[in-house]
Amino acid sequence: MRQLTVLALSWAILAGTAAHSSTAATAEDTTDPHAAHRQMAENRQLQRSVIAYKVPELQLVRDDGHTVSLEHELDDGRAVVLNFIYTACTTICPLSSQVFSVLQGKLGAERSKVHLVSISIDPEQDTPARLRAYARQFHAGAGWQHYTGTPHESIVAQQAFGAYRGDKMSHLPLTLLRPAGGGPWVRLDGFASADDLLAEIRGFDSLAASR
Amino acid sequence: MDCRVLIGGLLLWSALALAGPVERPTPVADTGIGKAIYRTGHLPDGKPIRAQREPAMSISGSTAACMNCHKRSGLGAREGQTAIPPIAGIYLFHPRAGTVDNLDLPFVEGMKPDRDPYTEASLARAIREGIAADGKPLFYLMPHFALDDAQMTALVAYLRQLSPTQMPGVDNTTLHFATIVTPEADPAVKQGVLDVLTRFFDDKNHYTRSQGPRMQSSHRMMFKVNRHWQLHVWELSGSSSGWEAQLRARLAAQPVFAVIGSTGGSHWEPVHRFCEAAELPCLFPVIDAPVNDPNDFDNVYFSGGVRLEAALMAHDLLGRGALRAGTRIIQVYRAGDVGEEAAPALRHDLPATVHVVEQRMSAGTGKTGLHAALAEARPGDVLVLWLRSADLAELGPVPPGVRVVYLSARMGGLEDAPLPADWRALARMAYPFDLPDRRRVQVDYPLGWFRLRGIPVRAQQAQADAYLGCVILSDTLNHMVDTFVRDYLVERIEATLGHRVLTGYYPRLSLAPGQRFASKGGYLVHFSGLQGDRIVADTDWISP
Repeated sequence: MRQLTVLALSWAILAGTAAHSSTAATAEDTTDPHAAHRQMAENRQLQRSVIAYKVPELQLVRDDGHTVSLEHELDDGRAVVLNFIYTACTTICPLSSQVFSVLQGKLGAERSKVHLVSISIDPEQDTPARLRAYARQFHAGAGWQHYTGTPHESIVAQQAFGAYRGDKMSHLPLTLLRPAGGGPWVRLDGFASADDLLAEIRGFDSLAASR
Repeated sequence: MDCRVLIGGLLLWSALALAGPVERPTPVADTGIGKAIYRTGHLPDGKPIRAQREPAMSISGSTAACMNCHKRSGLGAREGQTAIPPIAGIYLFHPRAGTVDNLDLPFVEGMKPDRDPYTEASLARAIREGIAADGKPLFYLMPHFALDDAQMTALVAYLRQLSPTQMPGVDNTTLHFATIVTPEADPAVKQGVLDVLTRFFDDKNHYTRSQGPRMQSSHRMMFKVNRHWQLHVWELSGSSSGWEAQLRARLAAQPVFAVIGSTGGSHWEPVHRFCEAAELPCLFPVIDAPVNDPNDFDNVYFSGGVRLEAALMAHDLLGRGALRAGTRIIQVYRAGDVGEEAAPALRHDLPATVHVVEQRMSAGTGKTGLHAALAEARPGDVLVLWLRSADLAELGPVPPGVRVVYLSARMGGLEDAPLPADWRALARMAYPFDLPDRRRVQVDYPLGWFRLRGIPVRAQQAQADAYLGCVILSDTLNHMVDTFVRDYLVERIEATLGHRVLTGYYPRLSLAPGQRFASKGGYLVHFSGLQGDRIVADTDWISP
């Protein structure tokens, strides 16, 4: 009987997936000039929200081997772009890390004003040395650091940003951004592109200019 | 004959037939090229394949391998909330099935039975341009691959033959498993583990086998036949050089779906290599010196064993500054035991400047050999004892001036290591398990199970591991419904192990691509209490 339930449930999931894809706009059914872009965003399942997360008091180990306070790392006068990764991941994380890499390129001269923060969700495996090798693979520049710690610390960090899913294999694509000097976080669920992130950072800048 | 195979064959045939005039028969393609593209993202000549999601986001080579997302089985996976669909042939080419009653494919999570079947042409378009069979864009995670026609033909041919078919070791009534026993297995461990495996299989067959009709959702789909679990004990003989041939003969004579809870000693490499070559899952063997190769897939271990202990010791020696200029490290071990694997590992984990001396004793020299080896220690030396409990009990007096002693929990018997009192006061043990107080509830469960069934506890940790391995195998197979594919078994364990609540001797278990040791660290502990019969952690959990 249990198997029947499993099967029925799975069928419901399948039906849900089908319903989702049928809502996606197709390129030819509209004259809206932004249709293609919107469809792309829909296909990337992007959802934006603004949330005032409280950064927990937490010690993490930076990829240079130093033990640092997460709060201090985030409050150093730069805007923050944060994600959660693990180096053994072959699906979502390489994509997310590539987006960070492209973002660094697009930031150009402004690169020094933005701190890219990648926190491992597999800290037992991801030693500082392993994180450095991973960062090299994605040509991480000076403003992009990777962090590890104990399993407990990593879980606390994930929980603080509503990113904990019980296990690294269940993680979701997620990017979090915050303006320099603090304020609420912009939470982007889904596959944010480098341009999406750049637009958020530009938004922070114009917000600061208008103050 | 399994009805699935027949249906699969019919589906394949009908997909080709439906394609009719526009579809030419599949040319004979070299699946070696397809396999290389699928698994490695390279062509057999080493040239990387290229793909991109957006103009600025190109990937190539191993990061573009199909297997990264769709898995080696081709049955897909779940990545968070993203269901990555199966791309093994029958899932791509099966005709549209509108309702669950028409579902006639082995169940996997991301399957889309209500989609029009792909043709060779529409599949090529999907792979190159990211357009699904129905003309809609595929999910963003799917890159667009730059493959020429020959490469595409080879890849599609590979996808076709990737389809789940009748797996060796599985028939309509029975699931066959093996456990491998090498001549090096400790007799108590071997007997204790075999007791657990045999009883687990008996229980499984007693509780789940029903005489009633098969469960089925329709006249076509039959699933979850209550198959009998049969265990085959493959006892090897002679020297390790002959084991691989013996294993090949055993597998040929009696195909099995997977290997579970095997036992052995210092030579595990031949068994490990055999399982990789045969692409046969070799799950949770109860051994002290597993093989560590991040490129391997089929061998899954609970822990890194004595090599992990060596790494813990090295971490501790370097971290606490126990190594002064001129400090010697003396490693004592027996020929033919796993200390022979552990000692070079510790040497490797220490800087080349550290003076490491090895005292390798012949196997049968008893107390005399042991005392002769220890007599080499000079004041200030660090002693590392890769010794079994029989040797630990016979250590005699501590050599004069020796203040630092390390020993192996796995070899010495964990907290029950029979160390003489003055050794006990000095000893620091590498302990790649959860601490006794914390794991009590976890381990009480298998102990109660053993007690109820009258299974003697001969080697508690080994037997608890064997039990946990069986439970993981059983749980995973339950969730696989009827999709008996060896690679898929390993992939499901990899994906779900981190969610387990009952983790036996280990604080947590998890795997990932390239991770084949489920528990990744340990403590350094010392003996405490009035009788020295308690252990206390000197460190946090360390993952070296």
